[in-house]
Amino acid sequence: MAKAPNRLIVFMSKRMIACDEASFLISVREDRRLGFRRWWQLKMHLLSCHLCRKYARQVGELRYTMEVYREGCSHESCTHHLSPAAGSRIGEELSRELKAK
Amino acid sequence: MSDSKENILDPQQWVERYGDYLFNYAVVRVNDSGKAEDLVQETFLAALKARDRFRGDSAERTWLTSILKRKIIDTYRKKYSSKEFAFGEHEDTIFDGDFYRSEEPFKGHWLEGKGPNSYTLLPEGELEQEELMRFINLCIENLQPQLASAFIMRMIDEEDSDTICKELGITPSNLWVMLHRARLKMRDCLEKHWLK
Repeated sequence: MAKAPNRLIVFMSKRMIACDEASFLISVREDRRLGFRRWWQLKMHLLSCHLCRKYARQVGELRYTMEVYREGCSHESCTHHLSPAAGSRIGEELSRELKAK
Repeated sequence: MSDSKENILDPQQWVERYGDYLFNYAVVRVNDSGKAEDLVQETFLAALKARDRFRGDSAERTWLTSILKRKIIDTYRKKYSSKEFAFGEHEDTIFDGDFYRSEEPFKGHWLEGKGPNSYTLLPEGELEQEELMRFINLCIENLQPQLASAFIMRMIDEEDSDTICKELGITPSNLWVMLHRARLKMRDCLEKHWLK
């Protein structure tokens, strides 16, 4: 009876993952569903690791930030503009090509 | 087939009407304004050649954007196959000596200062759009080109993994590792910029 907890600990620790695997799973989780075993391993790791908990939160924030970045530039009001010089250069190139036809 | 005016191609006005839009689209994805200008020009020229094939069943801008999108993916592919970039022997493993400790018994733990430091990645208060753009640009520039391509296709174009793997000629497990590394580096880079 006394051995049971030890065996349990050994059993559990063989299945424990370190931060490298945990952060990998946090990333994979962004793109697809984890299987039960991986999900459980990550859950257990996050319970005991405050750095990876922060990491998981920040990866979510990174997704949000990239969304803001994408949205910010999909509207007409974006901060990037084709410079007048480049605009006229491209215009000239186009009309030259049109005339050649 | 539609005869409505919007669907008739008018190359003369393209630059004026779509130049900024296409330039934006390109610069967010290639992170280089010179390169983006070239891509816009190539797009217009390609569109001019393919003008007869324009069916008019989509808006002109959508059509031009689809041509530009192809061109951007081609630049990713070129970057991916460039010789100057070597992915290293760890291409398929999640271990990265830049971020994790390699000595027992702490193998796989965060290296000092490489794990997250602050609780949040975002600065306090309203996020300044321009500042955000600048930092993201900087951090994407710091990524190796292959990582950047995969990251942009996933996060900005929201392509699914099958499409990205097909376009870049990689396996799904390559892709998961690449996205993981890109996220590691982007997170690290953004946190450092905002903590300053």
